[in-house]
Amino acid sequence: MDHRFQVSLRGVIDLLSHHLYSSPGVYVRELLQNATDAIRARQLLEPGHTGTVRLELMEKQDGSPPTLLFSDDGVGLTEEEIHRFLATIGESSKREVLAARRNDFIGQFGIGLLSCFMVCDELLVVTRSARGDGRTLEWRGRHDGTYAVRESEHPLDRPGTQVFLMSRPDTTEWFTPERLRHLARHYGGLLPFPVQLTAGGRTERLNPDGPPWRHEYESVSERRKALLAYGRDVFGTDFIDCIPLRSTAGDVDGVAFVLPASPHFNARQKHRVYLKHMLLSESAENLLPEWAFFVKCVVNANALRPTASRESFYEDESLALAREALGQCLRKYLVELAHEDPRALQRLIALHGLSVKALALDDDDFYRLVVNWLPFETSLGVMTLADYRRAHPVVRYTPTLDGFRQVARVAGAQGLCIINAAYTHDAALLEKLPQVVPDAQVERFSAADLPQSFEELTLDEREAVFPLVRMAERVLAPFRCGVVVKKFFPAEVPTLYSADAEGTFRRDAERARDESDDLYAGVLEGMMAAAGGDQAQLCFNLHNPVVRRLAAVADRELLKLSVEMLYVQALLLGHHPLNAQEMALLNQGLLGLISAQLGDGGGEGNEGGGGSGSRGFH
Amino acid sequence: MSDWREQAQQLWERADGLEPGEAKVRLLEEAVRLADAHSDTSMGYMLRDALIDAATFGGFPDKALVAFAWCRGQQKKDPKRFDPEGMLWKQKWVVGRIKEFPHITRKQISDALNDMEQCFAAADAGRRSVLKLRYGAAREMGDTAEAERLWAAWLETPRDHLTDCRACELDDELDHHVDRGEWELALRKARPILEGRQGCAEIPHLTYGTLLYPLFKLDDLKQARELHRRGYPMVAKNREFLATVGEHLEFLALTDNLSRGLTLLEKHLGWALEHPSYRDRFTFYTAAAFLLERVLAEGGRDVVSLRLPKSFPDYRADCGYEVKTLHTWVHGQASDIAARFDRRNGTDRFARLLARNQVLASEVRPFTIDSTQ
Ligand SMILES: Nc1ncnc2c1ncn2[C@@H]1O[C@H](COP(=O)(O)OP(=O)(O)O)[C@@H](O)[C@H]1O
Ligand SMILES: [Mg+2]
Repeated sequence: MDHRFQVSLRGVIDLLSHHLYSSPGVYVRELLQNATDAIRARQLLEPGHTGTVRLELMEKQDGSPPTLLFSDDGVGLTEEEIHRFLATIGESSKREVLAARRNDFIGQFGIGLLSCFMVCDELLVVTRSARGDGRTLEWRGRHDGTYAVRESEHPLDRPGTQVFLMSRPDTTEWFTPERLRHLARHYGGLLPFPVQLTAGGRTERLNPDGPPWRHEYESVSERRKALLAYGRDVFGTDFIDCIPLRSTAGDVDGVAFVLPASPHFNARQKHRVYLKHMLLSESAENLLPEWAFFVKCVVNANALRPTASRESFYEDESLALAREALGQCLRKYLVELAHEDPRALQRLIALHGLSVKALALDDDDFYRLVVNWLPFETSLGVMTLADYRRAHPVVRYTPTLDGFRQVARVAGAQGLCIINAAYTHDAALLEKLPQVVPDAQVERFSAADLPQSFEELTLDEREAVFPLVRMAERVLAPFRCGVVVKKFFPAEVPTLYSADAEGTFRRDAERARDESDDLYAGVLEGMMAAAGGDQAQLCFNLHNPVVRRLAAVADRELLKLSVEMLYVQALLLGHHPLNAQEMALLNQGLLGLISAQLGDGGGEGNEGGGGSGSRGFH
Repeated sequence: MSDWREQAQQLWERADGLEPGEAKVRLLEEAVRLADAHSDTSMGYMLRDALIDAATFGGFPDKALVAFAWCRGQQKKDPKRFDPEGMLWKQKWVVGRIKEFPHITRKQISDALNDMEQCFAAADAGRRSVLKLRYGAAREMGDTAEAERLWAAWLETPRDHLTDCRACELDDELDHHVDRGEWELALRKARPILEGRQGCAEIPHLTYGTLLYPLFKLDDLKQARELHRRGYPMVAKNREFLATVGEHLEFLALTDNLSRGLTLLEKHLGWALEHPSYRDRFTFYTAAAFLLERVLAEGGRDVVSLRLPKSFPDYRADCGYEVKTLHTWVHGQASDIAARFDRRNGTDRFARLLARNQVLASEVRPFTIDSTQ
């Protein structure tokens, strides 16, 4: 004969309380949910039925643990339903109607009631069904898994359900008026029918208002004020603005609050979400598109599915559509700002540029609208793209900070305006420009492009520096580095080293090869042999006095030494770490220069190449 | 100028806050250069440790290799200070991808695998990880018999603390079944991933791509479409997934969604042009060639408008590209790469993979992707 698995209820409850439910307090949520579902079911039978939920705390005179009476005037249960749904874990009256009526009910897993056993050992449910024969039934369930059903001696005069929870001595903390008030407000504060608490002889309504974003207000500014106050209440933050949210998909509405400061990195915000007006989660993350991390929101959804833990929404098509629609609401807000209050938009960009940029990347129309207001750091200071393009027809940028540092000073001195696009999204945004704005020209810029803007030599100068060029070429050939001489500013800069991306990668690979074992050195040789790219270049500046004098030096040995040292110095100034060969050059070169000086008997050799030449020499 | 250590630290922190990708890699490279410029080996090691991660998961396996090679050198010089054991996971990533560069010789690949095996043995780890990589290398290099043998050896060897997570291993197993046309088996095995019970940083992203063709073959186009819709956004922003983008491209061509396919092509060609993994380039170009063949077969359209990146050698400012020429170009890329791999490997696996496009052409079956349901 087949046997059934025996499930220990105690074990299941333990499991739930530790894994599914975050705190014993959720029992209030589960009871509220059941009452809400029951009231909704009754409303389906009797349209116009309002429904009320009552919590009554009965504290004992003798100091023994209190009892909570949790009652609703919902649909109630028949005897058959009690056996089927109430008494069977994992059974739910809401599952059968799931396909058809999923959206009407919150529960569906049939495990909610179990949460009560986290705070009491026995549950008494007294119920009268709106569909039944008018009898009032009593179900007594115990935490060890036993239960009894019988007709009640105290019939209810109207349909509805009463749940009695007798606190255990160790759980009385969950049965104080303050706790109950707090928990019921927390989970049910937005319910569209009264929730009342009676304790110590006083009765109060806990949810007087319903969602504040649905209220009527005297004026727009009243509305804004009230909602911002609500935002402060919910999140403890003084937000700078609020944005209405609405999505037909998932039947979502609510309000988004604009954060007063840039979030640390583009972290997804945690939102407070209600499902059918019951709090589902205070940390839902999957509600808004990824770019929208500049707001925190409160929303209610009537037609999204909760996950089994009921703490966020299930990832499905409806959620995807709702997310899209909510994103559109935020976008609409930004678009209106752009049209009506560009200054406010600029302030918002200053705070939440990352969000705005991320959206612009994904959305061409929005891009067109805001791109001109985006501020960029350039070699001539910070400016908006509009200002930049007014003065400079071609947009030039460096994608890395290092790349920017290498060119900024010299470019600035030449009057060249180069954008530092090392910040998140900047490079991608600029690359997008020609696709969206057809006449725009955008170019990546690197140190290798600088010499093009430099002044050419005269014929005489060309002749004069020829020996220097020849020598430098010979000296630098083993380093895969070519040589040019031009005139540029600032004059204190004697040379400029430039390598393209492949060249920089090659330098990294060379250092790794120098340090690695035979196996990997061999592998890297293979990589480097296959890599393309132009050779690096050292550009001498004939405006620089040292370079001018160098061009006149006849001593070939001194010329060679000087070129080597200028090469190494250019590398260091450009933040390029030296490989082993270059390090050797530096060491020998220093000694060589010193001995050359000593041989000269001192003299005036310390004019230096640019003042900061000792960087990295330790 | 502030202390360079502080600067390096800042770069590192900024990188930390970024999603995997080019920007993150660049920041860490910059920090590494700072450390190198100041000959700070410890800092250089720590930063490279982070760089290997960023490069591996951001689509720069060449940079991961360079960073690891440097670290491996330090480990050999001073194993007390730079304990190889701390980097075994990364060694696995790096060695696992070394075959994707056609200029690395077979001998170097097997030396790197042997070196890794020794490192793992020294750390008392089991052989499962190495066997998986050996299997992967043999499979990719077309050593079919050897791959069969290693497949069995890999799966018979017990898991240990250094084997990849279950989701990753499962995903790798799928390839084997897809190779053999065991569509249903592949799907059955993938179930824990599809149902969301298993996953990690790159799973299900990769898995969704892998399963498109099996689902297509099984005629479950609805689910294939679902995987495409869910899976493509997961891979669309990280060039690490170039090959998976290729799989989505192939699926779009197979189901006659040519316009959507062209949009993917224009969006991701830039990655392929400079992608360090020739293996991933190959998958992408092969799929792109198939797509363009479909456009040609459709007929009636000699020129298509595409916003291709400037780095494309035949870039046109007016965005009008002749389909034939474009096809010749991408097909040329795919067959060049295939030839390089096959020459190195001494097998014909890549030529065969490329020839598969002809089979696909006979299997095309239109199925709409762009509906709301
Ligand atoms: N207050 C109530 N009024 C009517 N029926 C209820 C009430 N509370 C619980 N039930 C019944 O008990 C079943 C189990 O409840 P529960 O364990 O919370 O699971 P769920 O709400 O997920 O269905 C419900 O499906 C419902 O049929
Ligand atoms: Mg319930």
